[in-house]
Amino acid sequence: MQVTPPWNQRIKDFTASLNCSLTANLSGLRTMPKVVSIHSYRGGTGKSNFTANLATALALQGYRVGVIDTDLPSPGIHNLFCLEPEQTEKALNHYLWGECPIESVAYDVSANVGITGDGQLFLVPSSVKADDIARILNNGYDVKLMNDGFRSLVKALKLDYLFIDTHPGLSKETFLSIAISHVLLLILRPDKQDYQGTAVTVDVARQLKVRNMLLAINKAYSKLNLEALTQKVEATFDETVAGVFPLSEEIVQLASEGVFCVNFPDHPISQEFRKVAQQIAEV
Amino acid sequence: MSTYESNTGANVGNLQALTNSITSVASPFRAYLSDLHGKYQSLDEGAIADYIPELALAQPEWFGICVVTAAGQLFDVGNCDQLFTIQSISKAFIFGLALEDHGREYVNSKVSVEPTGEAFNSIVLDEATNRPYNPMVNAGAIATADLIKGNNGTERLKRVLSMFKRYTGRDHDINVPVFLSEKATGFRNRAMAYLMLNFGMVSDNIDETLDLYFQQCSIMVNARDLAMLAATLANGGINPVTQERAIQEQYVQDVVSVMLTCGMYDASGEWTYRVGMPAKSGVGGGITALVPGQLGIGTFSPLLDAKGNSLRGLKVCEDLSKDFGLHIFNVAKGDRDLEDWTAGRHQIDDW
Repeated sequence: MQVTPPWNQRIKDFTASLNCSLTANLSGLRTMPKVVSIHSYRGGTGKSNFTANLATALALQGYRVGVIDTDLPSPGIHNLFCLEPEQTEKALNHYLWGECPIESVAYDVSANVGITGDGQLFLVPSSVKADDIARILNNGYDVKLMNDGFRSLVKALKLDYLFIDTHPGLSKETFLSIAISHVLLLILRPDKQDYQGTAVTVDVARQLKVRNMLLAINKAYSKLNLEALTQKVEATFDETVAGVFPLSEEIVQLASEGVFCVNFPDHPISQEFRKVAQQIAEV
Repeated sequence: MSTYESNTGANVGNLQALTNSITSVASPFRAYLSDLHGKYQSLDEGAIADYIPELALAQPEWFGICVVTAAGQLFDVGNCDQLFTIQSISKAFIFGLALEDHGREYVNSKVSVEPTGEAFNSIVLDEATNRPYNPMVNAGAIATADLIKGNNGTERLKRVLSMFKRYTGRDHDINVPVFLSEKATGFRNRAMAYLMLNFGMVSDNIDETLDLYFQQCSIMVNARDLAMLAATLANGGINPVTQERAIQEQYVQDVVSVMLTCGMYDASGEWTYRVGMPAKSGVGGGITALVPGQLGIGTFSPLLDAKGNSLRGLKVCEDLSKDFGLHIFNVAKGDRDLEDWTAGRHQIDDW
């Protein structure tokens, strides 16, 4: 006579429950929106370029992605999404002045970058009109409004990801975007000025109890040993380097007239962007 | 890269101050308050006080909520910079000053601490002792104002204003048109004062005392000030931000207990039962409410219910009490833990 070992059933139940919780977790991850801030202490490191490429990479995977240009003094990311200032009657500035809800200044740029699947990409641009920039510089704005705007935007557009492109250096809006982010991506070049500034930013981010921090090294010239560089940067800041990007003539050639990983999907740089996007998604 | 070392520790005080303010802005608790603000902004019942024209200038959409914890963290949403007149909320704090000036026994001999169940402007004194019922009704507040020391009207007003500064941490002004209107039309209050003079409950310095009373009601505050007033009481009488003592420790309980029993006019019983926070409201649209040891709440919305309490303010306090288990007699655990929501961003992802 054969007795069915009770283990069989137990193992079955156990694996069933595992599957169950796994599925629940996965769907939970999908529905919980994630805020990603792209920042660097100094200008010209490639913030807007990174923001556009990472956001597009995720939208191409079928996610609903929003990008907000909080670089009010020197906006620019709209160029990469081929959004001309004439097409954007109102911008983030107008929301901050209380003239309109933030979702009304979110422009669907999916078609501009060739997103055809389930994914969607929205951009909230900052105004490039000198008068509008001057008004912000003169009067400032309430940083609380910016925070409330981020939240309303995520809700109204049912975003999976919100990317915040920032003004270089430290300011109230930098502090805010770091504080609310699920992931902070700090970009630095192999340059002493960048190292020093990144150290300051890392300090501030820790003080703000940032949830997750990643580093990306950009514009590494060809003679550098990339592996050694990565190790050195990781040891210095005690944070993960998510990707290393070589100095690229192709990016310069594109001259901000489009998103690189859409124009050159098979280029190693595009692969590196997808690698970083993957790490952001997995955080 | 030795610079990494040298950058840590520089200007920690300023950095800490800025990070604290940003952490508050980005906290789940402020997001909760923001949702509450959105939930009740559309509530447009009630009426703006219009017994003097200056009060009727208030806009019905004005709505601000501010919470300050006993640790000095500040959270605000909506119109928290908008100034309005403090009105009856001043009464609780003037009572505290009178206690400091004369001690409990003497103050108690001039004004009782019994809730009336009558409207705030009723002309009624305790038949046996001739005392007004409590310092929160107009008669009691006038008798209390009469106790504020000072060589003349100016000095007494300055003592009142500097007391409010100790609580809120900033200078306050009087709204002169409101003061003059109250003074010109306050016949009922004048009648109460003379009735009390008749019974020897107030000094014969009636004009000066009534001026002080009308002035204390015309002090301009915002929702943040109201939260600081309450947070200071919640913090044992010490302003949790400036760390300055605003009222002697021994009299905190006097002020807070009278707020609990009489603070919300003739709706105080219902309020204590439902919300369970010592509080004081004013017809300017303010409510100040506290949870001893934990926090102070300041709300501002000029739409009032029939009893003179701010409608949106009532709702906000009721929700806060329910959601965080803040009723002072509550023993059950609230749905949300206040500390997690104000400080710990990692446990709560409210996106």
